[in-house]
Amino acid sequence: MTKLAFKTIVAAAALALTAAAPSNAQKADPAGIVRKMHQAFFYQGESFRARVKMTLTDASGSERLRELTMLRVNMPKRGDQRYFMYFHAPGDVRRMAFLVYKYPAKESDRWLFIPALSLVQRIAAKDAQSSFVGSDFSYEDVSGRDVEADEHKLLREEEHGGKPCYVIESVPKGSASYKRELSWIDKAAFLPLKEEYYDVQDQLFKEFTGEEIKEVDGVPTAMKRTMKSVKTGHRTVVEFSEVKYHLGLKAEEFGERALRNPPGSWLK
Amino acid sequence: MNRLRSFSLVEFSVEHPRWVVFLTVLITLGFLTRFPKVRTDTDPKNMLPPTAEVRVSNDAVERSFGLYEDMIVVGIANKSGILNDGTLGKIKRISDGILRTPGVAARDVAGFTTIDNVTAEGGMLRVGPLMAEAPQGDREMEALRKQLFENPMFVGRIISRDGKTAAIYVPLEKGASGMAVAGKIREIVGREGGPESYYVAGDPVARDTFGAEMFRLMAVFAPLAGLVMFAVRYLMFGDLFLSAALMMDAMIAIIWSMGFLIGLGFPIHIMSSMAPVFLMAIATDSIHIFNEFYFRCKEERDKKAAILKTMKAVGRPVRYTALATTAGFAVLLFMNIIPVKVFGGLVAFGTILLRILSFSFVPAMFTFVKEESILKASQGEEIESSRVSRLLGRLAGLGARRPWAVALTGLALFAAAVVGTTRIAVNNNMVEWFKESSEVRTADRVMNEALGGTSLGYLVAGSDGKEEEFIKTPEALRYVEGLQRALESLPYVGKTTSVVDYVKRINRVLHKDDPAYEKVPDSKELVGQYLFLFSMSAKPSDLDNVVDPSFKKANVWVQLKTWDAKAMRGVIEAARAYQRGNPLPMEIRPAGVAYFNLVWNDMVLWDMIKGFLLAMVVIFAILAVNFRSPKWALVGYVPLLFTVVLIYGAVGFMGKDFDMPISVLSCLSLGMAVDFAIHFINRFRSRLAEGRAAPAIEEAIVWTAARPGKGILRNAVLFAAAFSVMLFAPLTPYVTVGAFIVSMMLLSATLCIVYIPALIVLLRKWLFAAGETPT
Repeated sequence: MTKLAFKTIVAAAALALTAAAPSNAQKADPAGIVRKMHQAFFYQGESFRARVKMTLTDASGSERLRELTMLRVNMPKRGDQRYFMYFHAPGDVRRMAFLVYKYPAKESDRWLFIPALSLVQRIAAKDAQSSFVGSDFSYEDVSGRDVEADEHKLLREEEHGGKPCYVIESVPKGSASYKRELSWIDKAAFLPLKEEYYDVQDQLFKEFTGEEIKEVDGVPTAMKRTMKSVKTGHRTVVEFSEVKYHLGLKAEEFGERALRNPPGSWLK
Repeated sequence: MNRLRSFSLVEFSVEHPRWVVFLTVLITLGFLTRFPKVRTDTDPKNMLPPTAEVRVSNDAVERSFGLYEDMIVVGIANKSGILNDGTLGKIKRISDGILRTPGVAARDVAGFTTIDNVTAEGGMLRVGPLMAEAPQGDREMEALRKQLFENPMFVGRIISRDGKTAAIYVPLEKGASGMAVAGKIREIVGREGGPESYYVAGDPVARDTFGAEMFRLMAVFAPLAGLVMFAVRYLMFGDLFLSAALMMDAMIAIIWSMGFLIGLGFPIHIMSSMAPVFLMAIATDSIHIFNEFYFRCKEERDKKAAILKTMKAVGRPVRYTALATTAGFAVLLFMNIIPVKVFGGLVAFGTILLRILSFSFVPAMFTFVKEESILKASQGEEIESSRVSRLLGRLAGLGARRPWAVALTGLALFAAAVVGTTRIAVNNNMVEWFKESSEVRTADRVMNEALGGTSLGYLVAGSDGKEEEFIKTPEALRYVEGLQRALESLPYVGKTTSVVDYVKRINRVLHKDDPAYEKVPDSKELVGQYLFLFSMSAKPSDLDNVVDPSFKKANVWVQLKTWDAKAMRGVIEAARAYQRGNPLPMEIRPAGVAYFNLVWNDMVLWDMIKGFLLAMVVIFAILAVNFRSPKWALVGYVPLLFTVVLIYGAVGFMGKDFDMPISVLSCLSLGMAVDFAIHFINRFRSRLAEGRAAPAIEEAIVWTAARPGKGILRNAVLFAAAFSVMLFAPLTPYVTVGAFIVSMMLLSATLCIVYIPALIVLLRKWLFAAGETPT
């Protein structure tokens, strides 16, 4: 190696170090950033409950409402979670309940209780990218996507909405409904403030924004999330209320019995 | 005053020919600079203004159900069945290719790899793409076969009943070019090859291919028509320079008017693409000037005097024929259909230009001709020696001498033609604008034989909101289901799809796939929960396309096997009948491309009937003013009326549909066919008035037929020659227009020369005031 080349490399390394220094001495490990984001966004507290209002708006402006109570409990096994969703509205789906056992690296198990048939039906979760209850959110958007399923790259660091952010590009390793995703991750709270999804034609087709970040039980939480389908003009706004962490929920209670008849304390 | 101005224009042009020609060329070059900005528009939707009721309501339906304006249908056919590794692998690759094609609304492409299937296996409900990957092994293949043929939502839609044809429905993003996407798809399927054959069909393919062809035709056929006319003219006059001058006259008018149109920012529609050929043909009217000029040259031996005398003799009929032609086209300005308006205005403008040129540029060009060459050429222009003139004289003499025989023969033909006109069927079919063997039409035919149909209409059934989410009630669903069955009994309806099909499917799947449950369940609550369950896993568009967000309206997709406008009329009538037979407070409204085509078709018809009547009145008025007598106007009117009725009689007997090109022609034909009568009667009467000692009607008739009559015949032949090139066009509307105009010109010239003499003789007492009746 020539002297000159060596000098250049040293200079470049020094420059990179000084650039990285102010950012908490954080090593630019994009997968690590995404992992931290997942922790902050999907795994806070050992359990969680919120009343969720979903507003689905189509291109012509007409709206549909979904209201549900969502509960989550983290499993001892790293990454596993159980979700329980109980629907309050629209009227004809009241008492419908949805149970999901989530495993990061394999398909989740899902059950749905259909009150009119008094039937608990297992539902195949073939496609985690399919729409969640007709909204613009996919199942993945609600409960997280396996960090290892994508190749992550730190594109740049920039401010978004006045907050310093990492801009990460994630490209799915296998087949997916999108070709790549860009995320703006808040450096302080590690919450995603914005995500852009590009389709197979490499055109923007879905856009996520996380807003109204409030601290609840010491946990920064995005109380409002919007997913916009850019090409169709359809969008879904999710608003959280009555958020609570650390409820001391028991994982074994997330089962068929709860689907048919959820414990009163859950829906309070 | 008018006369004064045109006379001075002629004199000015004869005095300063170089200036006139120079100025004309300069302006022409100016208009030519507009040409590179040309745009075409073949979207039938733009035939109506964006505020038209049908467009507003169609847009509203598209919005509330998340539908696409345009859909291409791709067919993959294998004679030994498509359910084999090879073909399915190809379908998978083709689908992937289509999804990656720009302009394709990838999220809503419906085919084997993307369409949602609802199944229950081992107690597990599955909603997902029917075939994410090509099946491996016989068991998977068998499972796919079962799923395909057990699900009525697939049979006839993505697979044919015989299992030999598969389809992929490709919606297009707003503004995407159907032809560009179709071209890309043809490339994709072209790479696969194999024993399968591939078809690309659908409204956007037909429409955009038509647009491209139209552009090409305009570039090929207009110059070709010009060339043919040039050749015919040269044969008639034997002078290269004069033939070229006449040709330039037409070219200049075309460049000015097209340049003007493009400059104003109008796109070229199918109608206006034909304008150059029309203007070229209308320019042939200046042949009367040439015709007379040749005769005068022979008589006068002085060029300038001959020019001025020529213009004096033919000025009046030439001005009035121009006026009549302009009026015939200008009535189109009062129509509702935009391209027809544009076309009418364009040709009317061009006709006026042509006439101005006739009184300026044409005389100016005459001054450049060498006198010897005119004399040489005009040697043949002698009534006595010209064979054509003698023949014409004899023809007119037949009318004059045996008026009853001629009149009665005409009446008999007329009566037969009237019978023919009663057989005319109003219809419009864009796919049939292509020839039988064309790729577009073949694809459409094959797909319509195998599958549910390439033409799409919608019926939106809704309640006026007494009950919340009324569509979820079993009554509403059964009502829609009944409507679907009623529609499917129509021969041209291939397939219908609605929310009912999803509900029935889920009901069956949740009851252990028991076929007995393939029906609408009995409770609204259950329907609501089924649909919610479905929406938990399916693509959101699956439901959005068939119900509105408030569940007040259901959208029934009606696939038609033909693009005939009348098919959608049948669908609407069947829906009305169903409503009468099944009283439920639900409203049914049509929408979609097929409905648009129907509305547009009806509008064309009424517009054209209106235009036709208007043109009749206006032209009669022009004739009456020109002849200063309504009686003579009536005589001039008869050959015109006969021509039009005879042609429509023939159209009726041939079983040709009365479509948009034909209906537009009906209006125009009046303005063009009347020209000959104007020339004939004007010249006949001025011959009588020229005050030869004892003006004999028969002598004047024979003279008129032999001299101006030769001009009429030359005019008709030239006109017909220009349009005959359109007979060889690859698109049927052009052929229709060509055939129509050729026969109209020849017929009206013949009728004019034979029938007008007969009428003059028969009606002479009535036509000439008492005392001045000539013998």
